[in-house]
Amino acid sequence: MKVEIKNVTRKARGGTAVKEEFLDSDIILIGRSPACDIRLTDPRVLLEHAQISSRSGGIYLTALSNGSVSVNESLIATRRLDTGDVISIGPYDITVESHMGGDALTVAVEMVEQSDNELESLLSRTNVDIGKVGTTKRVWSWAMFVVFLGALIIWPMVLDLLTPTNQFDIASANREGMEASPTAVWTSGGISAAHKFFGETCSACHEKPFVQVQDSACLTCHQGIENHATPERFPTASLEDVSCQRCHKEHQGDVSVARNDQGFCVDCHGSLTEDEPRTTLRNVFDFGSAHPDFRPSVVVNASLHVISRDAAMSDAVPPEEASGLTFPHDAHLRPQGVRHPARGNIVLDCGSCHIADASEASFLPITFAETCHQCHELTFDTQLPDRELVHGQPDALFKQIADTYDAVAMRGGYEEPEAPAIIRRRPGTALTEAEKAVAENWAQAKTQTILSGRFGRGQCDECHRTFDNRSTGVWVVEPVHINAQWFPKSRLFDHLPHGDVECGTCHAAKTSKFSSEVLLPAIEICQSCHGGEDATDRVPSTCITCHGFHFDHQSPMRPELEAAREKTIHRTFSVISPDTAGIKIADATDGAP
Amino acid sequence: MHESILIYRNHRYLKWSAALIAVASAVYLFHSPVEKPNGGTWLGYTLGVIAAGIMVWLTWFGVRKRSYKPGTIKLEDWASAHVYLGLTLVVIATLHSGFQFGVNIHTVLYFLMLIVVVSGIMGLYFYLTCPRLIAQNRRGMTTETMLAQIADLDRDLRSQVMSLDDETAQAVSDAVQDTRIGGSLWRQLSGSDPDCPTTLARQKLETSTESTDQETRRQILSRLTKKEDLLTRLRRDIQLRSLLQVWLYVHVPFTLGSMAALFAHIVTVFYYW
Repeated sequence: MKVEIKNVTRKARGGTAVKEEFLDSDIILIGRSPACDIRLTDPRVLLEHAQISSRSGGIYLTALSNGSVSVNESLIATRRLDTGDVISIGPYDITVESHMGGDALTVAVEMVEQSDNELESLLSRTNVDIGKVGTTKRVWSWAMFVVFLGALIIWPMVLDLLTPTNQFDIASANREGMEASPTAVWTSGGISAAHKFFGETCSACHEKPFVQVQDSACLTCHQGIENHATPERFPTASLEDVSCQRCHKEHQGDVSVARNDQGFCVDCHGSLTEDEPRTTLRNVFDFGSAHPDFRPSVVVNASLHVISRDAAMSDAVPPEEASGLTFPHDAHLRPQGVRHPARGNIVLDCGSCHIADASEASFLPITFAETCHQCHELTFDTQLPDRELVHGQPDALFKQIADTYDAVAMRGGYEEPEAPAIIRRRPGTALTEAEKAVAENWAQAKTQTILSGRFGRGQCDECHRTFDNRSTGVWVVEPVHINAQWFPKSRLFDHLPHGDVECGTCHAAKTSKFSSEVLLPAIEICQSCHGGEDATDRVPSTCITCHGFHFDHQSPMRPELEAAREKTIHRTFSVISPDTAGIKIADATDGAP
Repeated sequence: MHESILIYRNHRYLKWSAALIAVASAVYLFHSPVEKPNGGTWLGYTLGVIAAGIMVWLTWFGVRKRSYKPGTIKLEDWASAHVYLGLTLVVIATLHSGFQFGVNIHTVLYFLMLIVVVSGIMGLYFYLTCPRLIAQNRRGMTTETMLAQIADLDRDLRSQVMSLDDETAQAVSDAVQDTRIGGSLWRQLSGSDPDCPTTLARQKLETSTESTDQETRRQILSRLTKKEDLLTRLRRDIQLRSLLQVWLYVHVPFTLGSMAALFAHIVTVFYYW
């Protein structure tokens, strides 16, 4: 098909200019693309908008790719063209001037519309740019910056500066003025339970801005906190240059600020014997697998108060305690029972003598008056069954016996066959001066017999070790020194959580013949339930399950800070002096000569 | 940018980021401080410095991409590294926190950072998917072409509406005069107009029985249908193009917000040391 294309341009001064093109093709492409045969340069025209094709003796117009094409003002998809038809595409009209079936075609192309009022109107109702909606990103961004800077730092800081600070006074437990600081929103994490009561008052610990928390803040309350070991003797364990917060980390939530990890202790105690030759301690790594056996501190000389920690429970010669008492546990725990002076045979168990204290962690001290005296009466003369010796007062003892027999001699009626007649006389009968002298002599001799003889001595012997004092010829009761704490380097063992365990599981009292035997378990007994920190089949137990770090009997860590502090802090517990550390003489007047 | 920023330079920045995450995680796992892991341990401080550095660098991208001066580092490198380091930041910052969160300004910073990163991920998703959808939707036309075609149809409709009955003529006039394209943020994002006067006019014309001139009625209906099709595509075009931008309205302001929070975080941590 031969095609003639006339490009018509109307001139401003009237008249038209026509530029002709010729081509030979069966398909004529119309569109914006430079590749099109008829190129219509207008944005409303698609790249390939429509095509004219010749087939079966006719010429047809087909719209392409959804473009709008009208022929004689009717929208068409495809249509056969006749001479005189006007094709409208965008602002262009293409007029079919002539055609010879499918052989030849002449068209005139002319832009007929220049003005675009509809488009302008449409654009006025159109917003296709998100940037033109509301405020710009820049405004929002600076707004966010200012809001967060103000809310997170400036506002709390200003409020904090305007709020008067109050120092917490733990001595009077006065919480007045301890309101939460506005800067509490700066907290880096929850406060430990023990510190919660002042935890929202930031300045209680953070005394100066941009300065790390000082020990002085801690010592406001924890005055007198002790060293770990004697600094002069063990310089490696000195806490002189160690700040509190190096070990005690606050703001970790509801956990204790005290360290409880085994590694912390093992760091030094794992190789202590090598690093500190002066130590008497042994190396330890893990309670479950590498902890030395228990070495209780026992009294080896009650008279001189000598304490020793040499033997371990599992040694061939186990530790022996020389308390000055002779007490056979097995005799008291016989299954058939023991004889009670009034009630006949009674069967005792541990609880008969060992009474739990109020905390149920430990037991009340055993005293003669409260415990032993229930069965052991201190009678000394079968003729005087209602007379008992005073316990624990050896000086009074002589006078008590002498007075007793003086009174007996004066009164008479003492029915011992060996006694003189005037002693056995009817009570109340008056004595002559000569008889009085006989009676006094008898009383003195009787007193001496009791004091030096087997009878009185056998009485004390039942529980006490006695010896003869060669200078006076009178036997003497050895001093008694009962150890209150076998493990002074450990916390006091808490019996309460172990309450369901048979006493005999840990304490072999039923077979113990001598009071010198230390009735403590070997470590294996503990290890059958307790393992080290990482134990999976035992109760995981770290060092501080049983041991403390700051020892009560050590000197204070920061004496200089404490001296400088004016405020007096009332502590609820007193410091035990180093001399008696961990050891106290229970009921010293009870049984000691 | 013909090569996706995700695979840019054979995943160079992905590898760098993965290496950083691997090293930080490994050290974190073997790190056992006195207390629970937190920002105050030596590792916490190290990770904090790295995270703060990344945050400032990522923010600087907003400045760098505005500059048309060729820098020593190509913009493609910046963009690719921006994406991967942004994702890495979440891991580093979380390890820095030691997984400790609470009611405090530090957690506020963490969540601001998460908002920025998540909006960035959305932006990346739009950047990777929208251009193809836009091209498919336009079918070779530009926004201007579609608008011009609609204007053409409007002009034809306006000239043809005279022969219609009053009620239908009014509907068609409304379609010409009141059809809005785009508009508010929500309208642009929704990609549709449920009350579009053009749709209403077409429905009116379809159900109208009063038209006297069936040929004119058919012509108008055909133009309205055509216009509706163009409007649908144009609105979809606006929707897709707005998606390419809308995430930035979250990403950029929250970035500035997190910069303020970062400043507050650092100052307050040392204020109450």
